[in-house]
Amino acid sequence: MTTKQMKGFEDSYVVEGKMALPYTYFAGSVGSKFITTIRDEKKIMGVKCPTCNVVYLPPRQVCDKDFTDIRDNWVDVGTSGMVTNFTVVRYDDKHLPRKAPFVLALIKLDGADTPFMHILEECKLEDVKIGMKVEAVFAKETTNTILDIDHFKPVAERASIHERNAGRKKWVADAEPAIQGKQKGGKPDMSKPVIIAAALTGAATMRNQNPSVPYTPAEFATEAYKCWKAGAAMVHVHAREDNGMPTHDHERIRATYNAIKDKCPELIVNLSSAVGMGKTTEQRISQIIAVKPDMASLNTNTMNFSIVDRKTGKIFIEYVFENTFTMLQEFGKAMEENGVKPEIECYDMGGLDNTLLIAKQGFFSSPMNFNFVWGVAGGQSFRADSFIAMMNALPANANFTTCGVGPEEFPCIMQSCLLGGHMRVGLEDNIKMPNGELAKGSYELVEVAVNIADSLGRAVATTDEAREIMGVRKK
Amino acid sequence: MGKRMAICAVAQIKNDAEYWHLRFQNMLLGCFESIMEQTKVTFDMEKGIRNIITCSDDLFDARTISDNGITDVVGAHFRGEEKMAQESINGLGYAMASILSGHDDVILFMGHCKESQGESRRMISNLAYDPFYSRPLGMDYHNVDALQARAYMEKSKVTDEHLAKIVVRSRQNAKKNPYARENKLVNEQEVLNSPMYADPLRELHIYPVTDWAYGMLLCCEDRVQEFTKKPVWVTGYGSCMDRYFLGDKDLASNFSLNNASKRAYEKAGIKDPKKDIQVFELSDHAAYQLPMWAEGVGIADEGKGGKWIDDGGMDKFNVNLSGGQLNGNPLLLGGAARAMECYYQLSGQAGDRQVKGAKRAVAQAATGGAGQHQAVIVMEA
Repeated sequence: MTTKQMKGFEDSYVVEGKMALPYTYFAGSVGSKFITTIRDEKKIMGVKCPTCNVVYLPPRQVCDKDFTDIRDNWVDVGTSGMVTNFTVVRYDDKHLPRKAPFVLALIKLDGADTPFMHILEECKLEDVKIGMKVEAVFAKETTNTILDIDHFKPVAERASIHERNAGRKKWVADAEPAIQGKQKGGKPDMSKPVIIAAALTGAATMRNQNPSVPYTPAEFATEAYKCWKAGAAMVHVHAREDNGMPTHDHERIRATYNAIKDKCPELIVNLSSAVGMGKTTEQRISQIIAVKPDMASLNTNTMNFSIVDRKTGKIFIEYVFENTFTMLQEFGKAMEENGVKPEIECYDMGGLDNTLLIAKQGFFSSPMNFNFVWGVAGGQSFRADSFIAMMNALPANANFTTCGVGPEEFPCIMQSCLLGGHMRVGLEDNIKMPNGELAKGSYELVEVAVNIADSLGRAVATTDEAREIMGVRKK
Repeated sequence: MGKRMAICAVAQIKNDAEYWHLRFQNMLLGCFESIMEQTKVTFDMEKGIRNIITCSDDLFDARTISDNGITDVVGAHFRGEEKMAQESINGLGYAMASILSGHDDVILFMGHCKESQGESRRMISNLAYDPFYSRPLGMDYHNVDALQARAYMEKSKVTDEHLAKIVVRSRQNAKKNPYARENKLVNEQEVLNSPMYADPLRELHIYPVTDWAYGMLLCCEDRVQEFTKKPVWVTGYGSCMDRYFLGDKDLASNFSLNNASKRAYEKAGIKDPKKDIQVFELSDHAAYQLPMWAEGVGIADEGKGGKWIDDGGMDKFNVNLSGGQLNGNPLLLGGAARAMECYYQLSGQAGDRQVKGAKRAVAQAATGGAGQHQAVIVMEA
């Protein structure tokens, strides 16, 4: 009881009361199962309406849209999800579960369609964002309430490949010469970090197939930088005109090369010496001599290089990709003389044998770097045993990487990584992610390659390590 | 088009931060006596008031069946009485149903609330949430409105600066309203500097704690001349309940208000609210709700609330000339306050804020957090 003394009200007082009522509340079968599953199994369950296909969280007995009884249609919605909305409660009050300031957020769990409310903790207030990934932290002691999920916390973002590389010992070559025999018979030497290369364009992939194909030097620079951020140590480039046509124009190629180097100086840039269909021998090699990139592709046999409908077998474009012995020899020499490390492209075992023959002249610097290319219409399709056969045919100390056209990209790079080789991905070879959706850029395919390396426990090579492995000088 | 109900007279006490020295019974008594005086209505069981509708809230009154605290004061003993425990605007809809069905001719509609009595109105609104999934998380109308504010402001490009403009204007308008709560005038910078409360809402974005009481006499068309020469008509009413769980609905959507206003407009024969209606009173519990509800009742284009403010929509459509809920009315009573402002405007009694030639007006109010339940009435001179 207090008295507010005020003129005219001396005889009155203000009662100070309190309303408090302990109560019980029957939670029902749906609510009870929801909480006991959280409590006993650390699982969050919603209910799915089979009529409208909505997974509701919190669960309920009946869908209010179509009146379907859904009480027994439980689905595990997982324990992680995304913040869809939030507020920072900055006042203290007795009904609040935390001291201010704290965050209340609407969280859509991965398996649910409706977000639900909970507390978000373990992050700075200014870092809370719509779209941030969060996961449930279960209470240590049960209260048999919604607070058996104590709160949600941000899912730790995986450290970038560069942060991870900074935290490990740099790879250095063994003082003893590498024992190539180790590799024979498919027994992998996985001690070297894996070099991931991104082939940004090729000569044939156009924007109507994937809008992320770069055409201008600035676009190449942006794409290359994203790939480097994602873990690529090298990009392979066919320069394009603004309209997307592949070009042999020295200025355009130099501008593209320089734009990439300006944006990302340490990245290894590998230029194509094929350029595109119909280019002359002179057009193909003069640009390499003019620009003097870190690396360049060196093609090893004359072959069909056609565009064929893979379902019907119908030929759309007939083209013979000319790479005579003379070209192989002259291109190879020109590259070596100009400090450009060749990447030797083998479309089948014949191409590899051609190279071994020419190599007897002794102009190739060691180590030699081979790329096994699969799935060109005119070359061989990816087969695991063909891969091993080619690997076994390599000269001592040679490195190998691989790339595959279309869906062959993923199995071939996985096999290469498994066998101690390297990986090339990118929109030149393949425009889609493993799930069939268009890749947002070559960088997304680099992320797939990083995941493969992670799964096999191989470190991803830094640009320095890649240079050391492949014998590419810094320019 | 439906039949119509007359508002014969209204009475209110001034909205105040804290009537600590008045019992809510006394707050109502002044309103009651004013209605009796204005209309000379009696409690004769044939010709007079046979039924009374009250609006009050158990938790703010700190007792259940809160109407029992005031039935004697409003003349409700020995006759019909029902309490509206939802937003007071629905009391008008309920009275309309009784009168237009012929069940009653004359209804006294009274409401009261001393928001200042409770230690925390946030604790009270926390009790509006289910004890199982929601209440233990601390949900209350303020933090739930904040979530809606974030979603709506993003959708409709409404900025912190827009909200500041709304608060400044509300207080300026309220200065012309003799019944409005006395609030300090503020400038936009003061609003922008006001402390964050529940992001993105600042303290000044939320209506202040307010005490208030009101009364109205409602009547059927046939007998209106017995009580007033200048009735104002309620010609349309519509309401809509949205889903309960916040995650079940798009918080930036006006689904329930669109539906409520559509039904009210149909009944009142309104084709284009922008042309057919001259005054709008919207229950903006927090500043973001003014443009949001303006979209909901059809005077701002969907998703364009920010631009609508920039284009002068608030003044062009005469929105909340009373100061609005944002200046201060108790929870649940804002709808009655909105309707009373429409009454003053349509009967030419709005003083300095009078809209010349106002023929039709719309009052809107919401129950629950994030405008879950919406109701709209259309009124006509």
